[in-house]
Amino acid sequence: MIGLLAGIVLAPLLPGVIQTLKAFAQGRRGTRPTQPYLELRRLWRRSSVDPAGTGIVYRVAPALVAACLLVALALLPIADAGLGHDAFALVGVLALARFALAAAAWDTGNGFALMGAARDLAFAVFGEALLALALIAAALPAQSTDLNAIAAAADWGEPSHWCAALAFALVILLETGRQPIDNPDTHLELTMIHEGPLLEYAGRDLAYLQWAAAARHWVFLVLGAELFLPGGVLAVPVLCVALAAVETAQAKMRILRVPALLGLGMLVALAGVWAA
Amino acid sequence: MLAAAGVLTAFRLRPGLWLQAAGMVLLGVAGALALAGDERVGAAWRAEVSPALGLDALSGFFLALLALTAVPTLLYAGAYLRSRVAGLLLAAFLLSLTGLLAARDVSTFLAFWELMTLAPAAAILVARRDAAVRRTVQAYVAITHLGGAGVWIALLALGTGEATLVAVAALIGFGTKAGLVPLHTWLPRAHPVAPAPFSALMSGLMVKVALYGLIRVQFEWLGSPPRWLGVALLVVGLASALGGALWALVQHDLKRLLAYSTIENVGIAAVALGAAVLIEDPLWSSLAFAAALVHIAGHALGKVLLFLGAGMIERATGTLDLDRLGGLGRRLPWGGAAFGVGCASLAGVPLLAGFASEWLTLQSLAHLTFDGPRGLGVAGAAALAGVAATAGLALLCFAGVLGLTVLGAPREEGVPGAGEAARAGGEASGAAARGGAAGAGAASRAEAAEAGAASRGEAARAGGEAAGPGAAARGGAARAGGAGAAAGAARPRAGGAEAPAGLRAPLVALAALCVALGVFVAPLVPHLAALAPNAPDLDTNLNLGLPGTGSLPLPALVLAIVIPTVVLAWARGRHVAATAPSWACGQPLSPALHWSAAAFSKPLRLIAESLLRPRRTLEVVRIRGVVQRIRYGRVVVSPGGRVYGPLLNAALDAARHARRLQTGNLRTYAAYLLGLVLGLLALTGTGALG
Repeated sequence: MIGLLAGIVLAPLLPGVIQTLKAFAQGRRGTRPTQPYLELRRLWRRSSVDPAGTGIVYRVAPALVAACLLVALALLPIADAGLGHDAFALVGVLALARFALAAAAWDTGNGFALMGAARDLAFAVFGEALLALALIAAALPAQSTDLNAIAAAADWGEPSHWCAALAFALVILLETGRQPIDNPDTHLELTMIHEGPLLEYAGRDLAYLQWAAAARHWVFLVLGAELFLPGGVLAVPVLCVALAAVETAQAKMRILRVPALLGLGMLVALAGVWAA
Repeated sequence: MLAAAGVLTAFRLRPGLWLQAAGMVLLGVAGALALAGDERVGAAWRAEVSPALGLDALSGFFLALLALTAVPTLLYAGAYLRSRVAGLLLAAFLLSLTGLLAARDVSTFLAFWELMTLAPAAAILVARRDAAVRRTVQAYVAITHLGGAGVWIALLALGTGEATLVAVAALIGFGTKAGLVPLHTWLPRAHPVAPAPFSALMSGLMVKVALYGLIRVQFEWLGSPPRWLGVALLVVGLASALGGALWALVQHDLKRLLAYSTIENVGIAAVALGAAVLIEDPLWSSLAFAAALVHIAGHALGKVLLFLGAGMIERATGTLDLDRLGGLGRRLPWGGAAFGVGCASLAGVPLLAGFASEWLTLQSLAHLTFDGPRGLGVAGAAALAGVAATAGLALLCFAGVLGLTVLGAPREEGVPGAGEAARAGGEASGAAARGGAAGAGAASRAEAAEAGAASRGEAARAGGEAAGPGAAARGGAARAGGAGAAAGAARPRAGGAEAPAGLRAPLVALAALCVALGVFVAPLVPHLAALAPNAPDLDTNLNLGLPGTGSLPLPALVLAIVIPTVVLAWARGRHVAATAPSWACGQPLSPALHWSAAAFSKPLRLIAESLLRPRRTLEVVRIRGVVQRIRYGRVVVSPGGRVYGPLLNAALDAARHARRLQTGNLRTYAAYLLGLVLGLLALTGTGALG
């Protein structure tokens, strides 16, 4: 239960820390790590906006997305909420969040929101396959898809573990919407992916969605640390530094190049299965 | 009873359909009892030619599924069908499906198999009379019979003990009927043209009954299936799943899209069956088998729901072109919501039927990777990635369908116009002109009216194939004009916003079933796993705590998602929300800016361009050097056409020659008989027949 609560409370810290580190690496004076909390507080006080023509799907979607991420937090190895810790259940819950957001984008009819949703879903085709492969390559020593068992059986002597770790690193970049795949700082509508479907939202709706984006960071960074790094959760700051470093060093890549990158990750994971 | 109901249908449509529904309820109860008790009633299977009927747990499962989908379909048909002949054919179709499931010998099986192929063909011909549809039906009958020869060979050779021959023939025969790639080309053409209740049963049940035949032959009548069959099912299933999902994405006719998605789901079931053959561990082998059956059930419910919903949408708007629908959640709140549930279920999101089966399939493939030797392990992992990617494609596809039909504001100048035109009825030409004009969008009014008037000919079809931001408007206009004309000519419709209760109540019932199966699948799994050959005893609770998994506590997951959603939505709602026009980055949302089906799938089409190979056409109309119009079109050709085209033409040619034998003259037939008898006597005389 403490793991779940920690996820709920600490999740917004992760994007904040990454922004601060990034600013430091680029020689700028950035925001404080607690900036996302301030933004959530501000948004919580604002009123929401219902675009004309939208219905219940638009109104419920942010709550549903946040609820899905809540369940995803509860499925992590560090949490214990009695929902089990199955890897594919986690994949499914994240897919539901994506579906809800795409449906909300359709409900607004906003072309830019739909552009982002369409790109997000198109990448998810490769992303889900890559995530499934990375998890299965990591699960080979444990012979189980239980995330706890995978974390317990991790063995750095196995080449499959290294391959799975490499593939999972790409999943982290994709799912957290970081460069080189997506740019979290962009405010140019034509290049947005994850930010796109959020365009019409304001107030508490936007607060839910921003918390969900932060929770996505928590899910994937904690999962990566638990499954692949010695030290478990304590290694999450290392991953934050790594993400900031990648963001500083890499430019955003062309959108159509992304599937090739993810395909490469799939081949690496398959090689891991072969090597096991 | 079904037969009696069929006869009654011939005289009085609605009471007949209701009696059929009552009969299906009884059959379903019988099937469910057979499944729950794992008992056998009637004869056991005999590889002989003497009629025998019986029922066991596997038949019982399919029979229960048939009843669950057929009863809503029949009630729906009561409000949908007008022709008594169609009602009679529906009875014949259901009778053939039931009979096939109960057949326990070669002759009964084959007789019902043929009836199952022909009944929907007849229904299509009764409902639609144009030449294009007739050609489609010919292709359907030709291809399913060419492939269906495999079923005949497999069943007739069962007694001989030629296991490999039977296995190959059955794979081809049942695979054709099930729509497995590369034998699928008839499916996306035949399913959409049938009336909605038939489309629903064809896509929801008929292909599943073909899988039932495959399971019967390969897993039961042949003894233990050979390992190459597992690999073949895995490969063919993956090709169907990925191919079906990819081609579903690029469709913009709702029913065609649904037909392609059927191919995808049959593929996933085939992958699970392949895993069941390949996995050595008896527990996971039987669970993979159960995964296939759960997927069959989930898809049957969802697909019947969506096809019936497509019929409702066509009734309400007069079109099935995805680019011209939208905002139906407003006009058809109940029907639209049920349709949305169906979309989500087929998208495979948690809480609904589609997810439970996909989870089981992924788990079985994971255990194939864990347990198998190295080569099979990599194959299992690749299949796992393939099924996960298919799930992603289905998510993209059905998020699009949901958005294009149910969600958003009605696309003014789009659907309601065509719908009004269709409902107003009366003068067909007027409806066509208005339907066309209403859909004009970017095109000029006069031009669209032209398109509407011409739509009865080639324009409708040509327009249907072209899509894209530019051409969609005009092509859509032509299509809707055609639909409007057809609907207007058929009969005048009553006005009013919501679809009739007879149409929407079955949809809501099916949506409830999708949810119920998604949440309470766990008690069903041990019963289904027990149907696999050499299944060990399996005891599972509601949490699906299977060994080697992290368990899937579906009821708890549902609560864990629904309760926070409700709480958060409530917390949001207390804060007053302002209403504003859609911001859209400062642009007014005009119909010309609405996203089409093609736009939503554009990123994936660009990524998969080398696979889809779309043919693009760009036409720029200039007058005195000034660009007046730019027209963009693209067509994605299904690859199967290249395989079947020559084969189909050869078959049609052969049929034309064979027709010369049929003179209709009694004396000729007597001569044929005499010749046959003499020939047989001669053969006996030489001792060739033993």
